[in-house]
Amino acid sequence: MKHVIVFVEQRQGQTRKVTFELASEARRLADALGGKACAVVLGEGASRLAEQLKSYPLDTIYVAEDRDVDTYLLDPSVDYLQLAAQNVGPALILIPNTLSGRDVAGRLMVRLNAGIVADVVDVQVSGDEVVCVSPKLGGALVTSCALRPSEYGIATVRPSAFAAAPGGSGAEVVALEKSAKSYAATIQRDVEEGASELALEEAPVVVAGGRGLGGPEPFETLLTPLARALGGAVGASRAAADAGWVPYNLQIGQTGKTVTPKLYIAVGISGAIQHKVGMRAAGTIVAINKDAAAPIAEFSDLLVVGDAFRIVPELTKLIETAKGHLS
Amino acid sequence: MKIVVTVKLVPDPNAEKRIDAQTKRLIRTGVETVLNPYDEYALEAGLQLKERAGGDSRVTVFSMAPEPLRETLRKALAMGADDAVVLSDPGLEGSDVSATAYAMANALRKLEFDLLIVGGLTDDSSTGAVPGALAEHLGLPCVTNARKADHVDGGLEVERETDGGYQTVRTPLPALLTTALTFGEPRYASLKGIMGAKKKTIATTTLGDLGLELPVGAAGSKTELREFAPPPARGKGQTVEAADGPSGAQAIFAFLQEKKLV
Repeated sequence: MKHVIVFVEQRQGQTRKVTFELASEARRLADALGGKACAVVLGEGASRLAEQLKSYPLDTIYVAEDRDVDTYLLDPSVDYLQLAAQNVGPALILIPNTLSGRDVAGRLMVRLNAGIVADVVDVQVSGDEVVCVSPKLGGALVTSCALRPSEYGIATVRPSAFAAAPGGSGAEVVALEKSAKSYAATIQRDVEEGASELALEEAPVVVAGGRGLGGPEPFETLLTPLARALGGAVGASRAAADAGWVPYNLQIGQTGKTVTPKLYIAVGISGAIQHKVGMRAAGTIVAINKDAAAPIAEFSDLLVVGDAFRIVPELTKLIETAKGHLS
Repeated sequence: MKIVVTVKLVPDPNAEKRIDAQTKRLIRTGVETVLNPYDEYALEAGLQLKERAGGDSRVTVFSMAPEPLRETLRKALAMGADDAVVLSDPGLEGSDVSATAYAMANALRKLEFDLLIVGGLTDDSSTGAVPGALAEHLGLPCVTNARKADHVDGGLEVERETDGGYQTVRTPLPALLTTALTFGEPRYASLKGIMGAKKKTIATTTLGDLGLELPVGAAGSKTELREFAPPPARGKGQTVEAADGPSGAQAIFAFLQEKKLV
């Protein structure tokens, strides 16, 4: 491993914050390894996004403006990534730890005969050795795992683990050649839902609701305004998702998403272990609950015992007023 | 239609997890081993697709485990799987994800199937990389996070969850599928199922049967666990009783200001 390659997830030229985080971290790691920092951008809109990525400290951006990437399920992406990795040479490959990132990573691991460490939150380089830090067993342990010296290594990286730091001298953009392969799994329909502009995993503030909210409406009328005032996103416990009050992609916990915002506000969530493992690494945890003995009391920085339906609108007002004074 | 569902046998997720300081591996003794709860969803998907395909369709459960835990696998058979194959060998101990996927793929290659269903995440040491790696080793199309699947034109039409929503994907068979928890609640084993499971076959394979070219276990692994520690403890914070809405809101607002979060 000498160079660093970032896999950029994108759709019509739009990407998530994690791309810029990885592009920035790639520079630091490439300098430590004495190699180049590269990115791979694939699919319709890739060229546009590559231009945007030039304001990050990368050396080379590999691009394939190819509709097949959006038509066939991940197969073209894996082919292009393999090709880019072979062009670059021995490298550490950084992939966002998302649903599609994990699929790509597992397949690339076999193609490149690479080791893999998942859900990485920190990477350390000493000599030619790369050691990845990742939480395991739902955050009950933090492990350091070395990628044994080999040509390629893969780390799937948790969004928000690194800071995005723009800067750089304008990377060279290189087009990747199209493979002659034909692909089997075709995407017939691709629907984006859960219209929150901010991805839950990347939001600096998460306002999450649970069984205590009693139905779908309070997610709209109580939590969304508070999340908006704080510049955050709305999440939910499994109980709320199972009840059909919110789509499953808002579920936080063992069987849902893991979030690490600066501030987590749990409204009407009792704090079962299932939920705890998805949010316990948040910077500050505030809970609003009717029950002072709810398990969430054990790991909240502040528990307010009271009626969320009365507290949340008042809190939203206070925050909006404070923001108004500043601007 | 022949369906293989892979399941993992894991320490009871409700039990406290401990790591052996010497081997740096999860202590599995003294903790009850159960079917990975997520894999029950994969099995449910397999059973539904078997029922819909009809005829002489079968579901075989496959597991790789340090010991052939027959009693735990009986649960899968009681739910409705027709038979089970377990790859079990002391030489597999210490395998990382790449060695695990390599060994599993070689054992799966010996089973004939039209569809391979792999449970999504594992509870005990999740990397999420195994399904993709198996698909590569076996040369199969790989459709992950399915919440719905139907037989269409000799292949499958799958509705799958994505990071931002969902997709409809068509794939020919044979293929590899992984299931999301939204596929449907796993069924309970009926009394008839439990009785019937006792007569079903659980075959055991060892590394010797596979004739692998590459090493597995710790020697075949490309990663090495160096250190592990519990995360910094989060102490119990303060509790405030709010008499009414404004006082509760004020308590939170003051706390957020103190933490410079607003």
